[in-house]
Amino acid sequence: MSIEVQGFEATASLPESIGGLDLFALGRRASAARDARVGRRGSFVRARQLLATGAWRGPRDAAEAFIEETDFDLTGGWAAVRSAGVGLFVAATDSPHARAAAQAGLRVLLRLPYRAGEDEPARLERLAALAELPFATWGVMPAPVGEAYGLDTLRLFALCRLALPRVAHLLADVGALGPRLAQMAFGFGADELFAPIVAERALRLGANAHNPSLTRKEAATLIRGAGLLPCERLADGVIEEVTT
Amino acid sequence: MNDQNSGTLAGFPRPPTTDSAEQSSSPSTRQNSGTLAGFPRPPTTDSAEQSSSPSTRSFGQIRDKIRAAEVLSFEDGVALYQHRNLMELGALANEVRERMHGDRTYFNRNLHINATNVCEASCRFCSFARLQPGDTAAYTMSLDEAWGKLRARVAAGDPITEIHIVNGLHPGLSFDYYTELLAGLKRIQPSIHLKAFTAVEIFYFAKKFGMTIEGVLTALRAAGLDSIPGGGAEIFAPRVRKKICDDKCNADEWLEVHRVAHRMGLRSNCTMLYGHIESAEERVDHMLRLRALQDQTGGFQTFIPLAFHPDNNALMKLPGPTGVEDLRTYAVARLLLHNIPHVKAYWIMLGIKTAQTALWFGADDLDGTVQEERIYHMAGAATPQVMHPTEIVRLIQNAGRTPVERDTLYNVVAEGAALISDKPFRREVRRSLEVVS
Repeated sequence: MSIEVQGFEATASLPESIGGLDLFALGRRASAARDARVGRRGSFVRARQLLATGAWRGPRDAAEAFIEETDFDLTGGWAAVRSAGVGLFVAATDSPHARAAAQAGLRVLLRLPYRAGEDEPARLERLAALAELPFATWGVMPAPVGEAYGLDTLRLFALCRLALPRVAHLLADVGALGPRLAQMAFGFGADELFAPIVAERALRLGANAHNPSLTRKEAATLIRGAGLLPCERLADGVIEEVTT
Repeated sequence: MNDQNSGTLAGFPRPPTTDSAEQSSSPSTRQNSGTLAGFPRPPTTDSAEQSSSPSTRSFGQIRDKIRAAEVLSFEDGVALYQHRNLMELGALANEVRERMHGDRTYFNRNLHINATNVCEASCRFCSFARLQPGDTAAYTMSLDEAWGKLRARVAAGDPITEIHIVNGLHPGLSFDYYTELLAGLKRIQPSIHLKAFTAVEIFYFAKKFGMTIEGVLTALRAAGLDSIPGGGAEIFAPRVRKKICDDKCNADEWLEVHRVAHRMGLRSNCTMLYGHIESAEERVDHMLRLRALQDQTGGFQTFIPLAFHPDNNALMKLPGPTGVEDLRTYAVARLLLHNIPHVKAYWIMLGIKTAQTALWFGADDLDGTVQEERIYHMAGAATPQVMHPTEIVRLIQNAGRTPVERDTLYNVVAEGAALISDKPFRREVRRSLEVVS
């Protein structure tokens, strides 16, 4: 396995070049790779989800419409999904539908499952396989299986950014990671928050303690606090800086 | 309480007295460039870092000062807070952390007892206190109830080494309640270390019961008190205290309690509540006042930055600190507080993921198993109320660190093969760890 990392010691294979890197060096390299790929910006998007029932979850005026793989089978096929306005297909890395989604003109966001304590060489092997998928992948989103550890997660983000140079976007799932760790991921190559964007701040108490929704202001604060320019992805690929 | 003492304490190694600022709150008096003994100058290997931060130059100067074992100034502290490159900041804090402790990372087995949440103080950041005994969710444990917490742990064969006791300022309890609380716990398990009553409580006892601070501490010590927790410091700046906690002891009084305790040979911890309305300058001022007292007494063991939780209190419109802000605060603390041996990532407040990450940003301690923490859970903390030692060991090992079980005074209880590390998680703990922010 040998992965060339664009712009970074292009002659060195990834495993050797990162094997001895400490957390900070890894973070610096991944951030630089992110900056080279998408600039020093962090983004979020107001999105809504098409459910298997045909109903929508999320605001009517969302800029992004997506469908999860688990809902796809009951929706009537790619043409129906596209005509409903869906532009993003969210699936696991081993999805049987991802290639077809890409061929149907949808962008593909792959959830990358991981467990705390996995071997790093094994992760790199999986990333190498992911890098060679025969279709365009718009983004990758690490998805913890079971409890996620902080450092483990951050290292994985950095590895994703460095090992997947053809993938533009690395997303941090606020629901799975919590807002603190999701924000930290920006220091390790992430460039977008994956979270419901809502109008009013959630009171995270009791059964609502893990509510992953963020207001625009909260999302911008997290991104700005991570040292990046907060941007909102709008419809038709427009990206707007958030100044609030 | 008015007993001033700036001399060296029996039993404590006196750290180098290089900070002349002591209790001044004026930034202009906090200049210090003395060299510290015991801080060897490491090789300068980290020169290739890139940064777009405008404070790059001053960061380089600060890094040079740290590697030359010079004490950082107020301005240095503020510049560190403003330095945008978190990786640079973290790497430097980690360098100091590893110089002091290597990979060793401490934890203990402890039990929290919050015997009452009835409280005369009305701190705006607090979600725990209920002002009157009859208020909704107000509670006061009987002594037997409180002792029962320890009895249950003993009966379960749980080898805890410490009980951490913090309460509200209850207007109706007698001083005997507190002394009996301690004495009863010691009767159940004489070897248990009682780390009890914040400086705020001790100051309150002195005022309420017409005693000196030394008198209060002497009586509590006779009943079983072994050390003092670091809570109640909040932020020392009068501007902030006036807005968030103007009806409890002030900064000078908080520091005086610890000064007296240290003089009596009691160890203590110190804290800072960050992420509410305070400025970076006020955080740095806070840390430097702690550092100044430590220069005098050497009695602080651990600095614990406490992340403000915004839910369920009068400041709930504030956003609370972010993960990056947490890591930055840990890193700055490790760099500024050269004379306080340990920096603790209190997982109850930070969340487990952030606490683990902080082990690379200056922290060397994860606190303990805790059990039944109420103060921050009433503020919305989403962490579990207990973490099994096996899980703590795994967290530390997963961070690439070496776990060391300690007692309250940082004597080693177990390390290496003596630590349990390979047992599977208990199902309920695994579930509770799944998502914590």
